[in-house]
Amino acid sequence: MSPATVLERCATGIDGLDNILGGGIPRGNMVLVAGSVGTGKTTLCLEFLVRGAERGERSLFLSVTEASSKLIQNLSTFEFFRTDLIEQGELVFVDLPSVYDRLGLGKEELAPEEIDIVIRTISDLVRSLGAKRLVLDSLTSVCYRIRKDEQIRDFMLRLGQELNEAGCTSLLVSEIGPTPGRYSLHGVEEAIVDGVILLWNTRRLGDILRVVQIVKMRGTAHSRAQYVLELTPIGILMAPHLKGGLEGGA
Amino acid sequence: MPVDIGERLRALPGGSAVALKLDPREYADHYFAVLNATLRDVGSETDAHTIYVAVTNPAAFVWSLAQALDIPVERISFVDAISHIMMNYSNPLSNATYVESPRALEEIMLRVEYLLRKFPHPRSIVVIDSVNSLAIHNPPELLSEFFHILLNNLKSRSVLTLVLETSEEEQKGIEQMLNLVVDETIDVARMGR
Ligand SMILES: Nc1ncnc2c1ncn2[C@@H]1O[C@H](COP(=O)(O)OP(=O)(O)OP(=O)(O)O)[C@@H](O)[C@H]1O
Ligand SMILES: [Mg+2]
Repeated sequence: MSPATVLERCATGIDGLDNILGGGIPRGNMVLVAGSVGTGKTTLCLEFLVRGAERGERSLFLSVTEASSKLIQNLSTFEFFRTDLIEQGELVFVDLPSVYDRLGLGKEELAPEEIDIVIRTISDLVRSLGAKRLVLDSLTSVCYRIRKDEQIRDFMLRLGQELNEAGCTSLLVSEIGPTPGRYSLHGVEEAIVDGVILLWNTRRLGDILRVVQIVKMRGTAHSRAQYVLELTPIGILMAPHLKGGLEGGA
Repeated sequence: MPVDIGERLRALPGGSAVALKLDPREYADHYFAVLNATLRDVGSETDAHTIYVAVTNPAAFVWSLAQALDIPVERISFVDAISHIMMNYSNPLSNATYVESPRALEEIMLRVEYLLRKFPHPRSIVVIDSVNSLAIHNPPELLSEFFHILLNNLKSRSVLTLVLETSEEEQKGIEQMLNLVVDETIDVARMGR
């Protein structure tokens, strides 16, 4: 296949998203999943991995903020989740803090050579598992330990390149405040990634409505429309956000 | 002898969207005829799963009415968008999912979607009761957008969609809007039963 041919897509398995994305995320792309607290970032990422593992694409969850055991417990709310995906090693959970400990990266701020180690560790993990899908939850907590913009840029570029070479499609969780402005901690991250999926809460009739929007996705002619999202036992469902819907704070 | 409503509905191609027009002066009579035709003749007799979007009367009311009419109710699920605002929520049905208000149109779409996936069938049925009740709570542009999106989605999945409509003089605009999105209108007054 010549590079000009249609990009191979990694179907997220979330029908609503795949419809907007013309089949899925271009394979090997690195995508930011940005949103404030409780907007469904982790749930969306978990479904992406479970759907991938079901299709025989090995999937890796790198957790920084929540313990894997708790995440695996949460998976049981999905009716389509099968524990054998974990037992057979198709779905793998790794706690990044324990990796940090093992590597002796205990300090607040990571030195440049320590950033190298983090990239190499993630890359080695992906390659040795043959992972085709990766979630990092969250990128924010990793970037918190990298202070300089150029170091963040370098970290993101190199990580993206490693994952792309491995044919691994990744979702990186970005925790942001409730008012939009930027999609990441430093503002550098969103420029480097191939795509940004934004989640936020809006209020209507006193109830909280979850909304999702594809802000950018390289190699994809996608809709920028807003969709209402619901987390259900059969997975994430989406419906167009009707135009008459009240605009709310993110 | 005119054909009856059930016969007419059964003859429709998959994915049809139909308005069922009830005369408000003969509402009870027409409503029973419509329940019989939709829930019994096309619903239970084809083994299809019916999703009933209740906006006029609470799901519990429609449910007990169906039972009184001896209509098999095992394959009916409700999306109830009226009980909450009628403060009629004390005895929720186990086969109903409750939406807080008829204004939560996206939520209604999401619940219909959920039930379609939960009970997959090559030819499911969605009944919306009614466009007039939705119009009381929603501005016309919003309602028109809602029907366009929902009916197109259901059509692409071969779902038979039946929209109840009472022909009120002062709501002519609704009739016109609905005409644009349905494939045909069946006037209950003119049908045999
Ligand atoms: N399958 C599900 N069905 C219904 N609700 C769910 C489901 N999964 C998660 N939730 C609810 O959604 C909420 C947010 O989910 P999630 O943890 O994915 O958000 P988040 O954006 O990752 O939040 P945080 O910023 O705290 O990490 C949770 O409080 C949970 O109660
Ligand atoms: Mg989370």
